[in-house]
Amino acid sequence: MDENNGAERRYRLTRRQFLAASSAAAAIAACGPAATPNPSGAATVEPTASPGPALKIGQLLPFTKVYAELGNSMKRATDLYLKQKGNKLANRPVTVVYEDEANDPVVGAQKTQKFIDSDRVDLMMGIVATPIAYAVRNAIDAAKLIFIETNAGGNALTRTTTNCTPSCKSKYIFRTSFSSYQISYPIGEYFATQKGVKEVFTFVADYGFGNESAADFTSGFTKGGGKITGGLKAPLGSADFLPYVTQIKAQNTKDIYSFFSGTDAINYIKAWTQLGMPAAGYKMNGAGFLTEQDVLKEVKEQANGATTSLFWAVTLDNAENKAFVDAYQKEYSLLPDVFAVQAWDGMQAVDLALQAVKGDTSNKDAFIAALESVKFKSPRGDFEFDKETHNPIQDMYIREVKVQSGQAVNTIVGKVARVTDPGK
Amino acid sequence: MTPETAVVQALNGISFGALLFILAAGLSLIFGMMDVVNLAHGAFYMLGAYITLSVVQRTGQFWLALVLAPVLIGALGLLMEPLLLRRLRGRHLDQVLLTIGVSLVIADLIGLTWGREIRSVPFPAGLDHAITILGGDYPVYRLFVIAFGAALAVVLAIVHRRTRVGALIRAGVQDAPMLAALGVDIDRLFAVTFAIGAALAGLAGVIAAPVFGIYPGMDVDYLIYSLVVVVVGGLGTLSGAVAGSALIGPADTFGKVLVPQFALALIFAIMALVLLLRPTGLLGRIRIAR
Repeated sequence: MDENNGAERRYRLTRRQFLAASSAAAAIAACGPAATPNPSGAATVEPTASPGPALKIGQLLPFTKVYAELGNSMKRATDLYLKQKGNKLANRPVTVVYEDEANDPVVGAQKTQKFIDSDRVDLMMGIVATPIAYAVRNAIDAAKLIFIETNAGGNALTRTTTNCTPSCKSKYIFRTSFSSYQISYPIGEYFATQKGVKEVFTFVADYGFGNESAADFTSGFTKGGGKITGGLKAPLGSADFLPYVTQIKAQNTKDIYSFFSGTDAINYIKAWTQLGMPAAGYKMNGAGFLTEQDVLKEVKEQANGATTSLFWAVTLDNAENKAFVDAYQKEYSLLPDVFAVQAWDGMQAVDLALQAVKGDTSNKDAFIAALESVKFKSPRGDFEFDKETHNPIQDMYIREVKVQSGQAVNTIVGKVARVTDPGK
Repeated sequence: MTPETAVVQALNGISFGALLFILAAGLSLIFGMMDVVNLAHGAFYMLGAYITLSVVQRTGQFWLALVLAPVLIGALGLLMEPLLLRRLRGRHLDQVLLTIGVSLVIADLIGLTWGREIRSVPFPAGLDHAITILGGDYPVYRLFVIAFGAALAVVLAIVHRRTRVGALIRAGVQDAPMLAALGVDIDRLFAVTFAIGAALAGLAGVIAAPVFGIYPGMDVDYLIYSLVVVVVGGLGTLSGAVAGSALIGPADTFGKVLVPQFALALIFAIMALVLLLRPTGLLGRIRIAR
């Protein structure tokens, strides 16, 4: 009996506490709209004239673990952009909250929730790894938070998929990087129709993105009349690439299409040259990350002759790219990479859209419409969003690694104009 | 698979196994002698690779790194044992936690010192070409790794069986308290053993640097491989480390070729099978609880 009474008392106590807490919360909530901007309600109480309250941007980037350097690069580009604009976009001062996604979908989801609940950011940017972007998609959509994805390229993030598995497009999500399709399909078609390649063997990293890349390349290549003779997959982060390259050499197709990046790309290219593949007539090709700056500066002339596709190269010859590369080099004494460009373009898109709505982010639909209509000259060339998918429409460059005065560089040998994601 | 390809793949497997042996030998030695599962072993390996990077960048001398890195990391081990590990002797869980902590600190310090970009060092001059085997090219460096691993196994075996230090280590593995009672400075012996184990991890880092790249996270990747090798081969014995790496290296390679989807799972399947049939590993001893 005593026990029951105790339980009863405890229950009452908690209920009383609950009532006290909830009435306090209600009181705070009642005061809330007066003190903080109310994004969805009768927003007219807020002054919209400039300069408005500070614009709060949540940047979710990796600063630890394997992609830490990518996060640093993207932060550098963001900081540089804001510095050039005197830390104001559309006459609104800007606060950036940086959080570490730590290459972990769970951490990414927690930090996104923090942006929504406690930081109450006006918009969110960042995310390097596709699984994290997929993991936070629903929370962002539910919170009606505008999110500019500045790296992760998983196709599903800007596509219509059934039941949103593993992800699907949201009207609040924009992307200033690329989709897997964009860096893989055009080079497939280009190989078959422009380069006259008849047969290709694929060798990709065995995870979502690598598999998507192989499938997109295959559909582009076969549509152009080419034939895929076979394929291999290596787990992400494979220690030893020699067994795979030995297998590639044991088959007869000379053109290989690959998707690897980071250490995988370095180890693959080293094993490739060690086994004498170039001398045996084999040609290495792939999605651009295979020979991006981070890889190229380590493998140097060993990547000579590799053909890859990407929407940017540090050597790209246009005024915006020159200005960007110069400014970045001046500020940080190092060359920018493709990740910096993606973050830079994210900031440009936000800036221009903000100007179009005169700095007023309270009307979400107007801001989304402004983002959809943004068009600008990026270091990568002409940039605009596909209004249907919110994925960028951009030119893809076919690049070949050449050794010029002792330095290995990606030189541009072809272009596929205005590539857009099919969105289905 | 043609016979030629099979031979080349066998070489690939053996050279990977040789590298795993260099990596696992130190882990096994420390466990056998001191009963410590040193989870900082991967961090020592990583440190070896980064020291190689610096030495090669400054001097261009890979061979200098091959001497310098094990010496420096051995010295670090010589400091770490008396300062940290000794206080926790006999407390296994505490030791495991301590070595995890040390590995995290080392990995972060490496990140601060060398940055978090992916790095790589070129193959040392003289070993950067390929030679013709069965009408195909094969990288000389891989043959060097095999030779180095084999030579190291022989040297370790001789030290272990024929020298005074080896006799002390063997005696210490059997019964350290009795050895101490006989007047041997067991503290010094443990410190030296730990230093040698750490130096071997550093050595593996140097040897692996030109092949496997240098990057944050490499410590954990290879720690797992070396743990599998010592568990399969039998904890705490040199011959076990040899047997484990001779099995796991080729299994990994042929797994990649024959059942690519299950290459990683295959290694763990082998480990599970070995443990089912021989719970102490292929050549492991039954440990006397102490």
